[in-house]
Amino acid sequence: MARPKVAFFDFSCCEGCQLQIANFGEPLLDILKLIEVVEFREVMSEKYAGTLDVAIIEGSINTTHAIERIKGIRDRSKVLIAMGSCATIGGVNGIKNAFPLNDIAEYVYGGDSEYFESIQTMSVHQVVKVDYFVHGCPIYPPEFVAVLKAVLMAVPYDVPDYPVCVECKLNGNVCMYDRGVTCLGPVTRAGCNAWCIGNGNICYGCRGMVSNPNEKGSIDVIRRYGLSMEHIINKLEMYNKCRELNPHG
Amino acid sequence: MNRQILKSSHFAVERGTIVRIKTLSPHEKLFEIALPGNARLNHDPGQFVGVSVFGVGEAPISVCSSPTKRDTFDLCIRDVGRVTHAIHALKEGGSLGIRGPFGRGFPVRLLEGNDLVLIAGGLGIVPLRSLVQYVINNRRDFGKVSILLGCRTPDEMLFGDEIEQWNKRIDVHFACTVDRAAPEWHGHVGVITTLIPGEMLVPERTFAVIVGPPVMYKYVIGELLKKQIPDRQIIVSLERHMKCGLGRCGHCQIENLYCCQDGPVFHYDEIKHIKEAI
Amino acid sequence: MAYAVLQKGRFDDFIVALAAQRKVMAPVSKGYGHFEFEEVRSATEIALRYIPTILPPKKYFMPQRETILQYTSDSIEAVVDFDPMAIFGVHTCDLAGIQCLNMVFSERPKDYNYLVRKNNIIIIGLECGDYCDQYASCAMMNSEMPNGGYDLFVTEFDEYLLFHVSTQTGEDIVKSTGLFETADASHKSRLAEYRKKKKSIFKKELPIDSKDIALLFDKCFESKVWDELNDRCLACGNCNNVCPTCYCFDVIDEPALDLTSGVRYRRWDSCQLETFARVAGGANFRENRGARQRHRYYRKFSYPVKKFFRYFCTGCGRCSRACMANIRLKDVLMDLIKAHPLDNA
Ligand SMILES: Cc1cc2nc3c(=O)[nH]c(=O)nc-3n(C[C@H](O)[C@H](O)[C@H](O)COP(=O)(O)OP(=O)(O)OC[C@H]3O[C@@H](n4cnc5c(N)ncnc54)[C@H](O)[C@@H]3O)c2cc1C
Ligand code: SF4
Ligand code: SF4
Ligand code: SF4
Ligand code: SF4
Ligand code: SF4
Ligand code: FES
Repeated sequence: MARPKVAFFDFSCCEGCQLQIANFGEPLLDILKLIEVVEFREVMSEKYAGTLDVAIIEGSINTTHAIERIKGIRDRSKVLIAMGSCATIGGVNGIKNAFPLNDIAEYVYGGDSEYFESIQTMSVHQVVKVDYFVHGCPIYPPEFVAVLKAVLMAVPYDVPDYPVCVECKLNGNVCMYDRGVTCLGPVTRAGCNAWCIGNGNICYGCRGMVSNPNEKGSIDVIRRYGLSMEHIINKLEMYNKCRELNPHG
Repeated sequence: MNRQILKSSHFAVERGTIVRIKTLSPHEKLFEIALPGNARLNHDPGQFVGVSVFGVGEAPISVCSSPTKRDTFDLCIRDVGRVTHAIHALKEGGSLGIRGPFGRGFPVRLLEGNDLVLIAGGLGIVPLRSLVQYVINNRRDFGKVSILLGCRTPDEMLFGDEIEQWNKRIDVHFACTVDRAAPEWHGHVGVITTLIPGEMLVPERTFAVIVGPPVMYKYVIGELLKKQIPDRQIIVSLERHMKCGLGRCGHCQIENLYCCQDGPVFHYDEIKHIKEAI
Repeated sequence: MAYAVLQKGRFDDFIVALAAQRKVMAPVSKGYGHFEFEEVRSATEIALRYIPTILPPKKYFMPQRETILQYTSDSIEAVVDFDPMAIFGVHTCDLAGIQCLNMVFSERPKDYNYLVRKNNIIIIGLECGDYCDQYASCAMMNSEMPNGGYDLFVTEFDEYLLFHVSTQTGEDIVKSTGLFETADASHKSRLAEYRKKKKSIFKKELPIDSKDIALLFDKCFESKVWDELNDRCLACGNCNNVCPTCYCFDVIDEPALDLTSGVRYRRWDSCQLETFARVAGGANFRENRGARQRHRYYRKFSYPVKKFFRYFCTGCGRCSRACMANIRLKDVLMDLIKAHPLDNA
């Protein structure tokens, strides 16, 4: 079987997710045996204009030029993967949208909510059809590999629709609520193996919300523990360079 | 860490070969499967197997052929998600993992000598087909047999050729209805309950078997109860999410019952007090 | 009844000697007042006083993630992974939890993965002289006293640890380490005193007799208590994942990068999760979070009574500790008791 032609494209983002992949180390070599990378700006400079088996899109869409460009890529790609929070949920602004519960968003983003609203940003699937999502800011490398396998086997990849707490508990972590800090794990969809908590940080919700969060219950909990929401903002700033596009930022 | 091969494990899977594939509709295909050495599956009508595509997963699928069929068995599969999609991508000569059969099938012995009303809605025809085939192959052992089918539109009707054969037989009464007719449809229009009043039922000797989507049961059972059919003689096959078939993973649980082991076939008197059942 | 005495000064020698024979797992402090069973090599790592660990020792009998099958393009093999080990310091509530799981997994069709691992695990219990914290309800659930299910069982005194030797395996450990003294009448009377004092501390935590809990659950299926939980529960699944008697699982395939070989594994699953009972076609048989909470409680206090003739709650309190929504098992039971008074009460 010919190796599928894969290209990476970046839109508005920090390219941190591509960097994650470039930094994969050993597993990257195994993956490269399965695919043929024809465009990857982070590590290559050539441009490829032919038909693609797989297009991997990083970054959110926020100019008319970008809209035309992504449509062009979609037209010549059999499979399209949105990679990283900027692409899957529109980055910082999208993360806010991914929390459809306005009250929670207000709790989370507090006085900064106007700052987050100022970017007109779209996630990739708001513009073209997306076949696979790799959420996260940055992406969790093992999940990227799992998605790639699903692509190569031509089966769908289901993003977990249960919260980060599940993975966190299975890893036996001391809960952040027991350390006196708020954590968005209970309402954020899993798939990252709760790696922030494993590394001593809270979950700041970078993968977006589960499909049916308990709005009222979440607010009760956040209200009861809601001391340290600025942590969440700090995390976002640390990871999410997308905000550099923000005219007010 | 030590790893040991577990021959007796109930998670062990056999490799089945796809002998034939027939496309029934845009979403459903019929797979004829042979086990190694044409071993018999040894199932009861109404039982199911775990069907695997390795690397993708396993899905519970009803065996839709009668145990009277030797050498191979049939699976009719609707493409709805990961595993079923991967199964649809397979070709004749390809292989599938088979585990089972599991569950309690239709109480064939009890049905013998009695009149049967077999009622299927939508994909419910799939598990019911194994019973219909069994009954037809042993027709003399049963009393009056009626088959009532319902589906949303005529083109969703599965096993059209076979149903045509049932329809032609003098020893089964057959009726069929659709929710929405197409121009070329000359049959009944209306939900399946409308077919039931037309039947001359002798409650003491009538067993009704119902398989269909969750919403169907309440109405059909209500109609049968109006016809004085005893609870014990109303038989349903329930669908639940299933991951093991062994009464352990918990997905199929209906209060204190495990659909995969205690069912999927239940007598109505066993579940009528169980609020989560219907 | 055989007892053996280990002077505290020799505790470390004991753990080191045991660890030379096989892996030793024991409660270890994780900070913030929490503990977890982990592999230890010396007694200094072990917390002898600890509240129930974040995850119960269940994780050694039924690991969070466990390979059950391996396949290549031409072979399919069901497998079991196991590690011979000794678990030191299992509280009586967790011994009861393991007893529940033993029943579940030895029932037909038997689960050989569980049973192979069980046969490779030595269990050394540890007595609680006092409550771990306010979330425990072990007295009500009759699991505060040792009730079998161990090879050795330790009661701690100021100068020594008293070991109850319950099985030949336990006896072999005592013999092979050569660190123990035989217990005499004075040791046994100290134990009797200890138990007497313990009985005055552990009192059934709620105003209901253990046997009446099942009757309560016969009456409260439609209770409004579940509606209230529907509003509060976040469906995070923590209460399932920390429970010593929850055993639901999911089965997942993981192909290797060659895409033709790989493994099938089972992973703990939770009935509180949105997707747990959803089927193709979109029907979700427990869509309501309150119905899912109810299901969890019925799986502790009602359904297993019908099947195994015992409650599947050990009173360990983990579910209450792990719930960021403050849903506490004792409070829920109390609400049910108040809302549905029993006739004979
Ligand atoms: C006893 C029984 C007999 C069945 N017989 C047939 C049959 O003969 N033909 C047929 O086409 N289908 C049958 N089904 C349904 C079939 O099992 C599901 O469609 C299949 O499991 C979906 O798997 P998937 O990986 O393709 O879908 P997924 O991608 O996993 O998910 C699609 C949807 O199916 C649900 N689902 C996932 N796994 C299961 C599961 N194990 N059980 C039920 N729902 C699930 C998901 O929650 C989701 O809503 C039967 C189900 C049961 C319980
Ligand atoms: S630390 Fe966060 S993710 Fe982990 S269990 Fe607690 S709330 Fe959930
Ligand atoms: S733990 Fe939360 S913030 Fe961290 S990667 Fe996972 S979803 Fe994102
Ligand atoms: S731990 Fe609490 S919030 Fe989470 S599922 Fe259980 S009861 Fe609900
Ligand atoms: S239900 Fe709660 S208290 Fe009872 S055994 Fe499970 S975790 Fe412990
Ligand atoms: S619940 Fe009871 S037996 Fe368990 S640790 Fe607490 S006091 Fe000990
Ligand atoms: S399918 Fe696992 S318990 Fe029924």
